[in-house]
Amino acid sequence: MDGLLLELVKVSRSFGATRALHELDLRLSPGRITAIVGENGAGKSTALRLCAGELAPDAGEVRVGGRALHPARPEEAIRRGVGLVHQHFMLVDGFTALENLVLGAEPMRGLRIDFAAARREACALAERTGLEVDFERRAGELTVGERQRLEILKVLYRRARAVLLDEPSAVLAPSEVGELYAALRRLADDGATVAVVTHRLDEVVRFCDEALVMRRGELAARTPLGAERPPELVAELTRAIMGREPPAPLGRPAAPDPGPEPVLELGGVELRDAAGRRLLDGISLALSAGEIVGVAGVDGNGQRELVRVCAGLERATAGTVRVGGRDPFAGVHPGPAAVRAARRAGLVVVHEDRQREELVLAASLGDNALLGDLGAGHDAERVARRLARFAVEPATPRLPAQALSGGNQQKLVLGRARDRQVRALVVSQPTRGVDVGTARRIQTALAEAAAAGAAVLCVSADLSELAALCHRIVVVRRGRIVCELPPDASEDAFGRAMLGVEAA
Amino acid sequence: MSGPSAADGGRVTYWRVLFVVSATLLVLALLCFAFGQAPHAVLARAFAGTWGTPYGIGQVMFKATPLLFCGLAFHVAFRAGLFNIGAEGQLALASLAAAWVASKLPASVPAVVALPATLAVAMLVGGGYAAIAGVLRARFGVHEIIAGIMLNRSADVLLPWVLAAGLGADSMRSADIAQGARLPRLDFIPGLHGSAASLAFPLAVLCTFGLYLWLDRSRAGREMRWIGQGPDACLAQGVEVPRRRIEAMCLSGAVAALGVTGTVLGYKGYYELGLGSGAGFSGIAVAMLGRAHPVALVSAALLFGTLAQAGLAVNASVPKEAMAVLEALVILLVAGSAHGDRARRARPGRAKPPAPDAPAEPSLDAPAEGAPSPGSTA
Repeated sequence: MDGLLLELVKVSRSFGATRALHELDLRLSPGRITAIVGENGAGKSTALRLCAGELAPDAGEVRVGGRALHPARPEEAIRRGVGLVHQHFMLVDGFTALENLVLGAEPMRGLRIDFAAARREACALAERTGLEVDFERRAGELTVGERQRLEILKVLYRRARAVLLDEPSAVLAPSEVGELYAALRRLADDGATVAVVTHRLDEVVRFCDEALVMRRGELAARTPLGAERPPELVAELTRAIMGREPPAPLGRPAAPDPGPEPVLELGGVELRDAAGRRLLDGISLALSAGEIVGVAGVDGNGQRELVRVCAGLERATAGTVRVGGRDPFAGVHPGPAAVRAARRAGLVVVHEDRQREELVLAASLGDNALLGDLGAGHDAERVARRLARFAVEPATPRLPAQALSGGNQQKLVLGRARDRQVRALVVSQPTRGVDVGTARRIQTALAEAAAAGAAVLCVSADLSELAALCHRIVVVRRGRIVCELPPDASEDAFGRAMLGVEAA
Repeated sequence: MSGPSAADGGRVTYWRVLFVVSATLLVLALLCFAFGQAPHAVLARAFAGTWGTPYGIGQVMFKATPLLFCGLAFHVAFRAGLFNIGAEGQLALASLAAAWVASKLPASVPAVVALPATLAVAMLVGGGYAAIAGVLRARFGVHEIIAGIMLNRSADVLLPWVLAAGLGADSMRSADIAQGARLPRLDFIPGLHGSAASLAFPLAVLCTFGLYLWLDRSRAGREMRWIGQGPDACLAQGVEVPRRRIEAMCLSGAVAALGVTGTVLGYKGYYELGLGSGAGFSGIAVAMLGRAHPVALVSAALLFGTLAQAGLAVNASVPKEAMAVLEALVILLVAGSAHGDRARRARPGRAKPPAPDAPAEPSLDAPAEGAPSPGSTA
């Protein structure tokens, strides 16, 4: 494969009043895996999207193989050999993997799609790269790992010589992460240009050849990763990313004495979808006051449903949720009334998709701070308190929520949740897509909530977060709790439990 | 009107109005040539028949009144993320009900009683008819556009039947309404003498400003707006999404019903089949053109009212359907430019939903739960 050099030359790009990139110079060289790291809003994804023609620069030039990318359109970038794998998969669920693969680039035989040729090429591609996917299955039935492999195959099928990935590991189990990077390594060895935007620095140190550190739309540091990779490198990268000393490690609150009665108790909670499939299959869990329990698992194994049942948005088809011994959902229809019943009982939930389930992005910060509490009076004080609780910046109530970075959006969400009367707190992906400093702040807030006597149930895809924060961790797979592990269990043990591989 | 997004949306809209108006004038010129008329002469006649004389101004206001009410009705529902395409049927049924009630009132009933009673009946019927679509949507997930279209058709069938069988009217009109239920004409303004303008137009303008204010300030109004912008977040935070949706739909129908003031109560004095028809649909275009600000909404209604009146004024030389062509053109241009906005906003790969000034309105073609899922925030 010929190498394809990607360059950003003095590129600036703004979104409205927000400056995402400022005279950025960036080189992505062939034959290596380059990691692009930085805090939220540092411009990492913007840089990738400029390379892939999804955005046009305001100033400066994007060069692909030494020539300017013009016109700055995705079609042109694909034609020139640049492929971008989005963080959110862009697959048609009802199509088979093969149909998804060729969608928009179908090999034709007369007026019909030549699926035989497509299948031959797909299998050859999969074999060469080691990216195994069952091409006959519908995309909706594939595992998260398979879907991602399919996305990578999609860009390779379009003859991409530069593969750009946005947060590829955010949804994978530890062992799948290893496989992903093994495949990327094969691509790079084959001469492809591989660039990865990620928040996970341990991965960068383990798998990548070079780390580009971005800060506020500029390149802050370029760290080649040689043969020697001391563990201090992670701390060093963290410093470069933040531009200051990394925050002190999180102190886990002492495990509480188990009280006479659990604060939050799930008893055999089962949830079936309309087709009768069990999305939750007998989840039983009891949390004492002051206890933090983690829920680990590969995305899509019932975590989301578990949180929605706790929130009152879904009614468990069997089993109960009890707060302080009482079922807040007894006699209430799932929906807004149940949400308020849970809140009255002191059960407060923070959903995983904060931009869709927690915030009205187009509405102002003040409106969002009051969402669900309008009509209770003292609006101005309430807004001020909730913005100030975790120091949302900028704390301008009139500003729309979409103007905030992900971290500040989450600070607002948590400020609102903590301002309510909390006996049990259920949070999902509290620090997903949030930068290091804010993530630590949020984790500390959860620990403080527990120290203040709340029971905290934390669903997270970030194992290191769960290990640092939780007193014990349950692993879910296919809607069932498969085991309970202490926080100091090995990553390997978690990986096996999450994927259902028997212990070797 | 407060709020940064609203103000900025307004700016965008004024440019859009300018663009639409110039394109419309261009097509008008072409149409005139097609009918062998000099464009400037036709334009002069159109102007004389509308804004050129006090009588014309009065007629424009008369034509604009139902459009403004229906535009306002559409806007209310749209803020809550609902597409009320049923204003047509709501207004027609409400008009008939209002005319019937007003015709049954004894002549001795004073206006302070007769008018509010008549309007209350109209709003109840309009709101109630809209509530069918609202309940179907909120409780059973039936799309309100489908329900609205069906209900419009049902109204089409119901009206003549009720008139003939129910009220025993021998022609397709109701009896004359009581004097007390009539809205005063604006005759007392000397220039407007003879025109059909009544107090209904100032009332519509007042309602527009009042309702915009209410949507911005009241609890129900604010929650409706949030539901339009982010239904999932509202549901997860315990906002009564289904109830507010039904309320928004009822309110929308009740506002559409107020269009009866301009036609039955302010002008004809009775209801006849087809009176005020078309306003429900044109109102959608009015709302799309002027949704950002009450002034824009009133201007849009006046623009469409002008076109309708100009059509009558030039009918001798250019068929008035030419103005219907222009109206259609305006609708297409508005829809097109709205689509352009959305396409720009939906360009792939926007790292962060960027601009604090991006107009924050529910999307036209996805009034349902389809909340945009913005990209990652890196």
